[in-house]
Amino acid sequence: MKTAEKEWNPKILAFLCNWCSYAGADLAGISRMQYPPNIRVVRVPCSGRINPYFIIKALQRGWDGVLVSGCHPGDCHYISGNLVARRRFAVLKDLLEYLGIEPGRVNFSWVSAAEGEKFANVVKDVVEKVQALGPAERLVKR
Amino acid sequence: MKWKVLEKSKIPVLIEELTREYEVFAPVKKNSLVSFERVSSGNEIYLGFQNTKKPPKEVFFPQTEILFTYRVGKKGVEIEEHPAPRRKRVLLGVRSCDARSFVLLDKVFSSGEYKDLYYLEKRKNTTIVGLACNHPLSTCFCTSMGGSPFGKEGVDLLLQELNGKYLLEAVTERGMELIEKFPWLMDAEKGDIEKAKRLFEDAERAIRSKVSVEGVSEKLDRMFDDPMWDQIHQKCVGCAVCTYLCPTCCCFDILDEGTNEGKRVRIWDTCQSPLFTLEGSGHNPRPSGKERMRQRIMHKFDYVVKNFGEGFCVGCGRCIRECPVNLDIREIVKKISTWQV
Amino acid sequence: MENLESSIRDIARKLLSDKKVDLIIGYEQGTLPLRTTPCFVDKVEDVQKLVWNASCDANLSKYLVDRKEKVGVVAKGCDARSIAVCIVEKQIPRENVVIIGVPCLGVIDRKKVEAKLGGKEVLESIVEGEQIRVKGEGFEFVLPKKDFLCDSCLTCRHRNPPIYDVFVGEKVPETPEVNEFAEVSDLESKSVEERWAHFKEELSKCIRCYACRNVCPLCYCKMCFVDQTMPAWFGKTNDLSDTMIYHIVRAFHVAGRCVDCGACSRACPMDINLRELVKKTEKIMKERYDYESGLSLEEVPPLGEFKMDDSQEFIK
Repeated sequence: MKTAEKEWNPKILAFLCNWCSYAGADLAGISRMQYPPNIRVVRVPCSGRINPYFIIKALQRGWDGVLVSGCHPGDCHYISGNLVARRRFAVLKDLLEYLGIEPGRVNFSWVSAAEGEKFANVVKDVVEKVQALGPAERLVKR
Repeated sequence: MKWKVLEKSKIPVLIEELTREYEVFAPVKKNSLVSFERVSSGNEIYLGFQNTKKPPKEVFFPQTEILFTYRVGKKGVEIEEHPAPRRKRVLLGVRSCDARSFVLLDKVFSSGEYKDLYYLEKRKNTTIVGLACNHPLSTCFCTSMGGSPFGKEGVDLLLQELNGKYLLEAVTERGMELIEKFPWLMDAEKGDIEKAKRLFEDAERAIRSKVSVEGVSEKLDRMFDDPMWDQIHQKCVGCAVCTYLCPTCCCFDILDEGTNEGKRVRIWDTCQSPLFTLEGSGHNPRPSGKERMRQRIMHKFDYVVKNFGEGFCVGCGRCIRECPVNLDIREIVKKISTWQV
Repeated sequence: MENLESSIRDIARKLLSDKKVDLIIGYEQGTLPLRTTPCFVDKVEDVQKLVWNASCDANLSKYLVDRKEKVGVVAKGCDARSIAVCIVEKQIPRENVVIIGVPCLGVIDRKKVEAKLGGKEVLESIVEGEQIRVKGEGFEFVLPKKDFLCDSCLTCRHRNPPIYDVFVGEKVPETPEVNEFAEVSDLESKSVEERWAHFKEELSKCIRCYACRNVCPLCYCKMCFVDQTMPAWFGKTNDLSDTMIYHIVRAFHVAGRCVDCGACSRACPMDINLRELVKKTEKIMKERYDYESGLSLEEVPPLGEFKMDDSQEFIK
């Protein structure tokens, strides 16, 4: 475990869809909006590309939190990718919480390319939640 | 004096004293499961089972064993070996069939010039305290496979359950050494030894399941392409229950795992998995359940007979009881022995 | 029960002799008390082997996938539903299977019987109506069958196969009001920590034999995620993290498809209560998408479609 001097900072893995959320994150950056630096971004073409394994694998690897963000329903660049993904995410999230993974570890959002501020707020929100939960231990492979 | 008596009430005392000098592995009951675990007190152990779910082979041949670890350090690749522990152990409460399985496994792990030190070191340092079987199960057929409910093969010290107490019989020098560590053990009386003999005879008679393996090995030689295999495998679902719960099955896979640091691990593998013989080219010489079932039967009752002189089945019956579809190896052997090739 | 057994044999005999099917898959007497075993009959004279009783627990739809020949299969309610799911998923051509639907009032859970007898072995068992007579060395008990049924049977709401080609016997009364999610709700009411501790303990018993996967009729993938390499999704050792991931992902893969036949829990040699985990996915499907699997051949599995107004309360 971390020593008293080294404060633990959560590490969040963020899967952002290329057309909306990634662009939204980019906008946040260009607009010089401040948000916590704890996320590492993986750009995917669509939130529908997200295999539930990715999220589970991230938790196994020790990521403290996961954020998956895509276009708003109806606005998907591939028409229905995010709609298919929405059901998948619902089942995965409910199943993980039922198993005992703390709510707040795995997060989902719809962020459009114009919503730079929303993106920043989502990240702040997620980092706060995960900070309160502490370092990820469940499912982490030693 | 190789015959001693241990009151059941004194078992916790014995275990307690044992743990001072040895690592003690004994059957432990958790809900419905009885399995061999490291114990630190006599209150944890449970000897009221007929047989454990998992065989004790995992004490010598664990399901997951780290062979060595490696990392890239300042001086390049650093390898750290994980040799088998050299601490003395006692494995207590092993049924005669399972104890006999160790003798069979020894043949695999120390065959010829290749010695598996991970297995052998543990084996060398362990004293086996067997538990004779007063009430064999209906699926037990140890007597057909060269064993017996009070069998002593592979056992250093045999516990035989009488009323309220155990008769201890030292079978090997190691067993004798163990007895001598407990000078408070009372000598057995002639009546105890005779009672045990009667219980043995009763237990042998109680084994009604008889499987004849006579001539099976020779017949199997001629049956590789026989259409019988088409019938037998149909209901098998290809899981690993029979192989993992079998005391003499010891096939393994070796993999590397790890991200920043690596470890080479050995894990149990099963010939019933389609991947077992999947080659790098993509070709699989055992592409369906039929070939895999044939492999299992021929390995157990033919190939090892040629390699080691006896079949690799101790008649414990675990595969029969636990198979999800009640595939019964006794039926298969019976079918083979009466089959017209 | 006896009538059903002879009816099944008659139907099988007719199907084979009329050459409507090449093979009948049913149950025959097992080699142990309280057990039956899958039986493959292709000759009319072997039809006598077929049995029907309260130990016919296997889900025979497992054996239907990847068959070229026409098959007649004995199917209980749950089995017929899993056949329906496989047909919808195009794994079994509808015209290749003749579903011999049998109404089922529940199968006996032999593990419950063994637990009741405290480890004493059952040497003989006879089902007499609503009772099971078990005999062993030095004992004979009569047990009320209803207390020893499989958990999946206790909450069964489809005792009559919803899909069939031939129906054996008379339809039995259903119990639609039974709360099939009581066990799941119970776990849901516990705290996250308690649930984690519970699943950790249960799943630590797992020896990765994959009996659960292999008896499940819906696990028909030629390359299961477990066996995938390059990349390997998770390790093959019995490390607890890898084991839990195997179970979570398998539960996810059967979400919206599982019919709660209970085969996975029955098959587990380590007595892990697998249904507890998978049943949750059924509840999610029911509550979020009002879906129950395997009831019709015209449905689309919920994870294969979407609606504009799907619930998304969890999305920021």
